[in-house]
Amino acid sequence: MNTLSKLIFLLLLMSAAACTDLDLVPQDRADPNTILSDEENYEPFLARLYAGLAITGQLGPGCDPCAPDISSIDEGFGNYLRQFFQLQEFPTETSVIGWDDGSIRDLHEQSWTSNNEFVRAMYYRIFFQVSQANEFLRETTQDKLTERGIRESFWSVVDGFRAEARFLRALSYWHAIDFFGDVIFYTEEDEIGSEPPVERSRADVFQFIVDELAAIESIIPAPSAQEYGRVDKAAVWMLQAKLFQNAQVYVGRDLNAEAITALEKVLDTENYQLEETYQNLFLTDNNLSAEMIWTIPFDGDNTQGFGGMTYLTHAPVGGAMDPADFGINGGWGGIRTTPEMVDLFPGGANSADSRALFFTEGQNLEIGEDVDIFENGYGLPKFRNVSSEGVPGVDGRYADTDFPVFRLGDAYLMYAESVVRGGGGSRDRAVQLVNALLERAYGSSAQNITDADLTLPFILEERGRELYFECHRRTDRIRFGEFSNNGVWSWKGGTPAGSTTEAFRDLYPIPASELLANPNLSQNTGY
Amino acid sequence: MNLRNKLVLLAWFFGMSICSLIAQSSVSGVVTDSETGEPLIGASVLVVETGSGTVTDFDGSYTVRANEGGELQFSYTGYQTQTVFVDSRTSIDVQLLPGELLDEVVVVGYGSVKKDDLTGSVNTIEAETFNQGAIISPTNLISGKVAGVQILSGDGQPGGNTNIRIRGGTSVNASNEPLYVVDGVPLRSGDGVAGSRNPLNFLNPGDIESMTILKDASAAAIYGSRGANGVVIITTKKGESGAPRITYDGRAFISSAIGEGQVLDADAFRRTVTFVSPSRLELLGDANTDWYDESLRAATGTQHDLSISGGGESNSYRASIGYQFLEGVVRGADAERVSLNLNFTQRAFNDKLTVTTSIKGNVNNNNFDNGPLGAALTFDPTQPIFDPTNLEYAGYNEYDLTLAPRNPISTIDQISNEGTAYRAIGSLDLNYDFDNLIPGLSFKTILGFDVEDGQSRRFVPTTHATFTASGFDGEFNNNNQRRNSRLLETYFNYTRSIGSSQFSLLAGYSYQDFQNSGSNLNGQNLETDVFGPNNFNVAEDIIVDNYIIENRLISFYGRINVNLNEKYLITASLRRDGSSRFSPANQWGIFPSAAVAWRVLEEPWAVGLANTFSTLKFRAGYGVTGNQDIVDYGYLPTYEFGDQRVRYQFGDEFITTVRANAYDAGLKWEETTSINLGVDFGFFNNRLNGILEVYQKTTDDLLFTVNVPAGTNLSDRVITNIGSLENQGVELTLNAVVIDKPNFGFDISGNIAFNRNEITQLDGQGSADILVGGISGGVGNNVQILRVGEAVNSFYLFEQRYDERGRPISDADAEDIDMYVDQNGDGMINDEDLRVIEQPAGDVLYGITGSLRLNKFTLDFTLRGSIGNHVYNNTASSRGFLNFIGNQDGFLKNVHPSAVFSRFRSAQFFSDFYLEDASFLRLDNVNLGYNFGQLGNSQINLQLYATAQNLLTITSYSGLDPETGVNGIDNDRFPRARTFTLGARLSL
Repeated sequence: MNTLSKLIFLLLLMSAAACTDLDLVPQDRADPNTILSDEENYEPFLARLYAGLAITGQLGPGCDPCAPDISSIDEGFGNYLRQFFQLQEFPTETSVIGWDDGSIRDLHEQSWTSNNEFVRAMYYRIFFQVSQANEFLRETTQDKLTERGIRESFWSVVDGFRAEARFLRALSYWHAIDFFGDVIFYTEEDEIGSEPPVERSRADVFQFIVDELAAIESIIPAPSAQEYGRVDKAAVWMLQAKLFQNAQVYVGRDLNAEAITALEKVLDTENYQLEETYQNLFLTDNNLSAEMIWTIPFDGDNTQGFGGMTYLTHAPVGGAMDPADFGINGGWGGIRTTPEMVDLFPGGANSADSRALFFTEGQNLEIGEDVDIFENGYGLPKFRNVSSEGVPGVDGRYADTDFPVFRLGDAYLMYAESVVRGGGGSRDRAVQLVNALLERAYGSSAQNITDADLTLPFILEERGRELYFECHRRTDRIRFGEFSNNGVWSWKGGTPAGSTTEAFRDLYPIPASELLANPNLSQNTGY
Repeated sequence: MNLRNKLVLLAWFFGMSICSLIAQSSVSGVVTDSETGEPLIGASVLVVETGSGTVTDFDGSYTVRANEGGELQFSYTGYQTQTVFVDSRTSIDVQLLPGELLDEVVVVGYGSVKKDDLTGSVNTIEAETFNQGAIISPTNLISGKVAGVQILSGDGQPGGNTNIRIRGGTSVNASNEPLYVVDGVPLRSGDGVAGSRNPLNFLNPGDIESMTILKDASAAAIYGSRGANGVVIITTKKGESGAPRITYDGRAFISSAIGEGQVLDADAFRRTVTFVSPSRLELLGDANTDWYDESLRAATGTQHDLSISGGGESNSYRASIGYQFLEGVVRGADAERVSLNLNFTQRAFNDKLTVTTSIKGNVNNNNFDNGPLGAALTFDPTQPIFDPTNLEYAGYNEYDLTLAPRNPISTIDQISNEGTAYRAIGSLDLNYDFDNLIPGLSFKTILGFDVEDGQSRRFVPTTHATFTASGFDGEFNNNNQRRNSRLLETYFNYTRSIGSSQFSLLAGYSYQDFQNSGSNLNGQNLETDVFGPNNFNVAEDIIVDNYIIENRLISFYGRINVNLNEKYLITASLRRDGSSRFSPANQWGIFPSAAVAWRVLEEPWAVGLANTFSTLKFRAGYGVTGNQDIVDYGYLPTYEFGDQRVRYQFGDEFITTVRANAYDAGLKWEETTSINLGVDFGFFNNRLNGILEVYQKTTDDLLFTVNVPAGTNLSDRVITNIGSLENQGVELTLNAVVIDKPNFGFDISGNIAFNRNEITQLDGQGSADILVGGISGGVGNNVQILRVGEAVNSFYLFEQRYDERGRPISDADAEDIDMYVDQNGDGMINDEDLRVIEQPAGDVLYGITGSLRLNKFTLDFTLRGSIGNHVYNNTASSRGFLNFIGNQDGFLKNVHPSAVFSRFRSAQFFSDFYLEDASFLRLDNVNLGYNFGQLGNSQINLQLYATAQNLLTITSYSGLDPETGVNGIDNDRFPRARTFTLGARLSL
């Protein structure tokens, strides 16, 4: 028995020198080196940088659990385009929403604070894009490609991808300085987990964007020489023009001449032409329109979510509107417009202007006391999930319609504005371009303008009529000095009749959470 | 009818016992203390064969009638029990020896100790004192029994999930649940697999021998990284040597929902619509439907447990089978459980080797409700249930509108949601005694496995309005999940006595790995309904996803117990834990503990104290425990592919996307350091005894999902180690044997616990003020906050203003009167005027349990209460405003009756009008039993009992139920049931 005991004892001692291996690697995802050793995976990574504007995570709607990009807010709410729309359109006369979602009504009332979750979501969305683009640039250097044994013939493809990544980063940095003024600044040089980024002035970041765009201009393919959905040179010029035209606001410099230069490149390409019917620009087959310079594509089967165009086609539908007419499974009964928006059109809702896409049946013109009742305020269902032939989108829950980021009609009005602001160019051409838009709007030249009509107030109003809901309105109004302390519309300032607000609201506050997290940041004046 | 039967049985029994008395003779005598010779007053004298008996009088004398060949048992609290054969004597004097009846042994991690030798905060509840008829979860067996241990069930689902909080939560984002160890096998954390409600449902309460709670870190630190929230050690019943014993336990249940639906009835609704939304009167119907009541039922259930146990010289066994079927009080919900439990122990090699195998297996078949109650509270009460002309919706009355509520009865009748979950836990426990090699040395190995397999199948037919109103036809979800775990535990135990001192030493190794994998399949647009969820081919669109996750825990541990002259007790332990959830640099953590206890009465100078105290022990303990219960691979940089629905168009192609995921390479253990001071005391030979404890638990390196500075990571929030959290508390437990006579006894126990929880630090690069507590109504609305200086999940709301009549100022009032207090005085009401007010967790938790025994009757009850817990009434806030009635087109919605009082026009989610003090006192459990003893000359013993659960709740909370689970937000819950049980226990 003693021997047996000893034997067992020994065996047990041996077994105690057991396994201590704790390194487990995931099986349904992988580390960057594994993924990027296959050149097939570079395009999917680039596609994700674009998709950051359209989708919200790596699993489609209804997932449980999900894989959201940002989690400070409900995933569908946190979509880039949805936030961009809410921050650009809600605080203006174009739209009002009556939902009970957190402080969403503060956006139209211009009473947001640094805790506003939608401002916060936009902020984190912007820098999510910057961080992903930085990661792409960090992981696709020639050193890394060599290290992973990527063949040299593929390097030039990667160079093109890198230029597009830099464009997308520049776009988001533009949104950052437009919304927030001075912002954090970091590039691919700053590794993950490093010190919090420093704050840089709006002017510094502005210069960075301008330099970046100049650097990639030669690498990005010529207009229309790029696949649909990806940026070409015309998109670069449009972004340059946007920066230059708003330079007075951003850096206190008049760069309208530079804006004219960039816009002339767009106008002179002849690759683009105005869509014949205004409404067709906002329907499911708008990807076929020659007016589009760059869009964010959506697809009911492949690019789903509750943000983006799904939101823009559903939220304005309610009341007596039949969802089937809009190609959707049901309206969300949210967005309406103000009487001041209706007044922009001669003749109001019954205007001969084909851009007046109001829905009035069962709706009241005035919003009155109850913002939460959908009937208060005319409907304005601009984006629809039906084709120009009236065919509904493939899936009524998710839109097929693409979002026009840059289109020729905008370039026309931008050119006219920079001409009026003294940036050079030709007044004749400007009048001609504006009239082209008006002729489309009215189907005749009856409402055409003359040189004398081409004034700044006219252009602000015309941009309202032509480009409402396309996420320009807040920036436009600020450029014209008509956003906060000037201009009154229903429920601005939190009263049914509307009132002005303080000028500091031209900038959104840095989110409180970010201010606490990053000691390098300072809050914008007034907040 | 039942009562009458019972009376007949009782009469029969009494008649029988009178008959048997005739054959007996009288025995008398005096019972004294063997040391002092003093007579013992009130000592029990029991006639073993009959169960009858008496107590001694003031002189210590007694008289009983007993058989000549019978036995008498003499007992007295604080004295050793003696059994004496009567033989032919008529006078028997007995001297009882002072001292404990038996050394009560308590299970602790990796072994057991004498109760007197405990140094930490450990409570054991034996099966005899479990709450009878606990049907929700095994954890309800100990509800209200242990100071500072809170069993939280969110709702009244049959077999539903519960949460346990031991001395408050120690974490924010990592788990707050204790570790469960079942017969030596530590269970994984987290929810049940697909198709199940509660991961603990594999345990049949009837198989549980005892539950031991390790509350403080000095006791729990032997479980290291898994012990931060305490440990619950569950021991199942084992066999005993002897002839086979068979027991059968059968029960029948009947339950009804507590409380009524908080809605306007049809008439009140018509009046309100006339007043609020006169333009929509034409939408009213002619019916009077109480949708809430229509959704409920009187639920029944049955349970049958059968066990057999016994054994020979060197082995013992116990096998049991259990069956339970419970209906839920919401129509359509039920739970069925079949469980098997087998324990077998064999000793060999002169009892040096002991092998114990244990297998527990079960299958749960569940039908889940499909949330009809929210719709029942909203659906227009003037509408009928059926509309025979509406064939598209199978004859149910429905609105053909996307945003309309769905007919709850159609939901109950048409949507099926079934789950099947299997779980099996097996272990082989080898213990070898090396006495002949090194005296006092033994070795133990436990090999174990835990396999779970679950499936849930949900089916929405094409005739249900959820999809058809949106232009889509039918849906099914088919989720499969498999979880496996393997365990190896090995340890040495060495015990030695030197003089009157003993010490023991333990050293061991533990390995446990976990796999979790599964797939979810969702099919939409069905060609036909005939196959239900069982044929994937009929779905036009199918979405599939899957997951595979693994993690592993490896540990080395050791413990020393020292007992110096029975006076001083010292315990020290050390555990080194490795977890695969952290990077190689942070994988290993060290968790030490130490505790001392001092048995004062053993001191020679304490003789004087011994006159007052029968027990007096001071304890002090310190320990560090950890928490690693977070998502896997959080430290690794990974790239993740998107599914086919989040592709992006390049040209004519849709490109699958790849994203870089956020990570924190520096993730490490969350550590909780706790200090515990306690005193155990007893008076009157421990007839009155108790425990007083104070503790402080500080959690550092809190694993916390926080907003990181933008640009430092690949997402806005990352789980990282940040900040600190503190729990402080006092607990008092008192047990009293008020009356202890052979035919009459009364015991009462009470416990009360005070706990205070506070976030003490959120530093580094993390932000303070994180909003949590999402509610129903709107999207992204949160009513709670995490803030330094406040309790976790404190409510964060506007301060409602009231008029002189006590009605809240409403948005219907004049525009220039603020509804809320302008806290910062800036003239506007915005989110800067929100304030922290109250918290969901109670300040004081208490429980009172009593046990009354009269002849063969027993009456047990458990009262449980909480003071200072607050509830946000989301059922009221999400519907409590008048515009809710008509703010959608084409249909009306019922409102919460509070809207009639508050007159709120639009939603006021952030008003503290909806925050209520939900302190309560609840009569949880009353059990009346009658023990027939042996039935006639047969070997059969019979006990009958009746139990009532949830009999009475005293609270000022206006909602359905003041207990709302962990987070204090009450939202359309599955109502809690009042349940009556009748049971019979037969043993052979």
